[in-house]
Amino acid sequence: MRFLPKTLALVSALACAGLAQAADIKIGVAEALTGGAAQYGVSIRNGFQLAAEEINAKGGINGNKIQLVIEDEQGKKEEGINVFKKLIFQDKVLMVFGPTLSNSMFAAGPVANAAKTVVFGTSNTANGITDIGPYVFRNSVMESDVLPVTVATATKHYKLKKVAVIYGNDDAFTKSGYDVFKKVLEDQKLPVTTTETYVKGDVDFKAQLTKIKASNPDAVVCSCLAEEAANIMLQARGLGLKVPFIGGNGFNSPKLFEISKLAGEGTFVGSPWSNTNPAPVNKAFVAAYEKKFGGEPNQFAAQGYDALYIAAAALKDVKLTGDINADREALKNALPKATISGVTGPFKFRPAVTKNGKPGGWDADQKPFIYLVKGGKFTLYDAK
Amino acid sequence: MEWLTANFGDFWSTYSTLVFSVGVHAMLALSIWLTLSCGLLSLANAAFMGIGAYVSALLTLNLGWSFPAVLLAGGVAPAAVALLIGAPVLRLSGVYLAMATLAFGEVVRITVLNLEITGGPEGLNGIPLSTEGWHIALLLALTIYGLARLRRSKVGRAFEAIKEDEVAARLMGINVDRYKLLAFTLGGFIAGVAGALNAHFTFFISPREYGFENAVDILTMAVLGGVSDLIGPMLGAAILTLLPELLRSLHDFRSLVNGAVLVLVVLFLPKGIWEPRRIRAWFQRMIGGRA
Repeated sequence: MRFLPKTLALVSALACAGLAQAADIKIGVAEALTGGAAQYGVSIRNGFQLAAEEINAKGGINGNKIQLVIEDEQGKKEEGINVFKKLIFQDKVLMVFGPTLSNSMFAAGPVANAAKTVVFGTSNTANGITDIGPYVFRNSVMESDVLPVTVATATKHYKLKKVAVIYGNDDAFTKSGYDVFKKVLEDQKLPVTTTETYVKGDVDFKAQLTKIKASNPDAVVCSCLAEEAANIMLQARGLGLKVPFIGGNGFNSPKLFEISKLAGEGTFVGSPWSNTNPAPVNKAFVAAYEKKFGGEPNQFAAQGYDALYIAAAALKDVKLTGDINADREALKNALPKATISGVTGPFKFRPAVTKNGKPGGWDADQKPFIYLVKGGKFTLYDAK
Repeated sequence: MEWLTANFGDFWSTYSTLVFSVGVHAMLALSIWLTLSCGLLSLANAAFMGIGAYVSALLTLNLGWSFPAVLLAGGVAPAAVALLIGAPVLRLSGVYLAMATLAFGEVVRITVLNLEITGGPEGLNGIPLSTEGWHIALLLALTIYGLARLRRSKVGRAFEAIKEDEVAARLMGINVDRYKLLAFTLGGFIAGVAGALNAHFTFFISPREYGFENAVDILTMAVLGGVSDLIGPMLGAAILTLLPELLRSLHDFRSLVNGAVLVLVVLFLPKGIWEPRRIRAWFQRMIGGRA
C-alpha cells in the first residue's frame, strides 16, 4: 500500500520524461491551501490556474503545454521543505512557484537553491528572501519599494507636517512593515508624534488611539493587518480622531473598506495591483477570473497570474533539451531577462542587493500604484 | 542492486527532511515521556525546544561554534532554565502544573518575540545546514539507551513509585522533589537538543513554532503512541509525522482524514497504540484460537 502510489508516481514520471520534449512543461506550485495562510494561497493558486489555461489555450509555449503540479504546503516551514523536495526530486518539475509565506520561503528556498532549481515567490515581501541565492526570484514588490511612494504622495496631498504611527509588534509582516515606515519617515523628515503598538488578536485600541489623538498628528501611519485595521479606523472615528490614515500592504483588501465604511475615507494605500487599473490586460484578467472562480480577484491572484506569464516569457527563449538539470539551468539564465506588461503593470527583474555581498537572486523592479479610498472604494490616485 | 541504490537516492533526496523530522519528533516525545513517567503533566517541552533552537542557532550564526558544541549548548541552556524554574513550579501538580508550564511557554515565546537578538517576530534565517542523518540517529539511539537504562535503575524505580503514589513514595524515603526536578531537567535537555537539531536542517526558526500548538503536538505524540514504555512515544511521533505525508494524495481531504484517524485511535485505543499488555493478550488469543 505504502509503495503503490510511489511506484505509480515513478512510472508516470518516467512516462512523462519520455514525452517531455514534445508535450508538457511541468511546473510546481507550492502554496498554503489549508491553514491560516490559505486565504492568500488559494488566490495565488487560482491565478496560476487561470494563466496556465490561457497559455495552453493559445497553444502553449513553443508548442509545449504547461502542466501545473499543485501541492499544499499549509504555511508551515517543514511542510514547505517536504513539498519542495517532492516537487524537485520526485515530480522533477522545471521550476517551483511559492511558497505563500516569507517564513516558509526562508526554510524551503535554500532547498531549491541547493538543488539548482529556480524558485519563484509571488507573495514573499520580507527582506533577505533573495539573499538565499541566485536561483531565487520574486515578483512580489517589497514594502521598501511601495511605502516611500505612498508616504510621499500622501504628504504632498494632505500637506502633512507630523504623523502618528501604530503597528502590531508580534507579527512578522506588520513588524517589518513598521521598520520600513520608520526608515521612510526618517528619510522624508516627517516627524512622528507618537508610536503605539498592539498585539495580534486585540480588539480594543482606544487606549492607543486616545494617546494618538492627544499628540495631534496630521495623519496616522498604520502597519496593520486588515482584521485589526478595520477596528482601528472605526474606533478612531468614534473617538473623534478625524485625520486620514496611511496604510501598508495589509490595507490591500477591498473587504477592509467595506467593513470600515466611511471611517476609511481618505486613506492612502500603495499596492502592486488593483482591480480598478484600467489597462486592457487587467480588465480581461478580472473578467476571466470572475467567470472562472465566481469572485473578485485580489492582489495575490494577480501576482500569481503575472508570475506564470513572466516564466512563460522566459521559457519562449529556452530550448528545452529534456535533460532536467540543463533545462533548469537554462531557465535560471533566461529568467532575469524576461519582461512583460502584465496586470500589475510593466515588469522586469533587478539583481538583489544582498547583505553579505554574495550574488543573490532577483527582485521585482516595478512601480506601485497609489490608491485613495473614496466612498469605500479604491480609486487610482491622480497626482494633479 | 544498481536500481535499488538509484531509487534510494531519489527517495532520500525527496524524503530526508521527513525522516529527520521523525527522529527529532521521537526525541521530543521521549522528553515528555520522561516527565510523564514521573507523574508530571508538564507542557514546557515546546518552550525548551525553542530555547535549544534559538541558543544553538545564535551560537552558530554569531560565534561560529562547532556543531557538537552547539548541540551541547542547545541542551544545557534549557536544562539550566528547567533547573531554575523547576523548584517553584514543581510544587504544583496535575492541571495546575500543566497551566504553570504552559504559562512558562508563553513567557518564553513573548520574550523571544520582543528581543532584538532573536530577530523578533521575523525569526532567524540563514541557519546553515549542519544536521546529518547520523547525528539524529546517534543522538536518538543515545537517548533511547540512556532512558532504557534509567528505567531499570534506582532513579527509574523512584520515578515509577512517585507516579503511582507520591505520598507512599515519600514515606519510602524517596526524595520526591529532587527526583521530579531531575525528570524535568533531563526532559528539558532532550527537548533542547531536539530543537537544536531541528534548527540546523530547516534553515529558519521563528517564535510561533514553539507556542501552545507545538506543546500540544508533542503531548499528542506521546499519548497517541502510549506512555507505558519507550516504544509508544516513538511510534506516536512517527505516525503523527508520516501520516500527513502518506495522505498527501488525498489533497483537500487530507486534514480531515488525518484528524479522523487521530479521533478513532483515541476512541478505540484510549491507552495509546502501543500497549504491551493488550498486544500480549491479543497474541495469546491468536495462539489460543489456532490451537
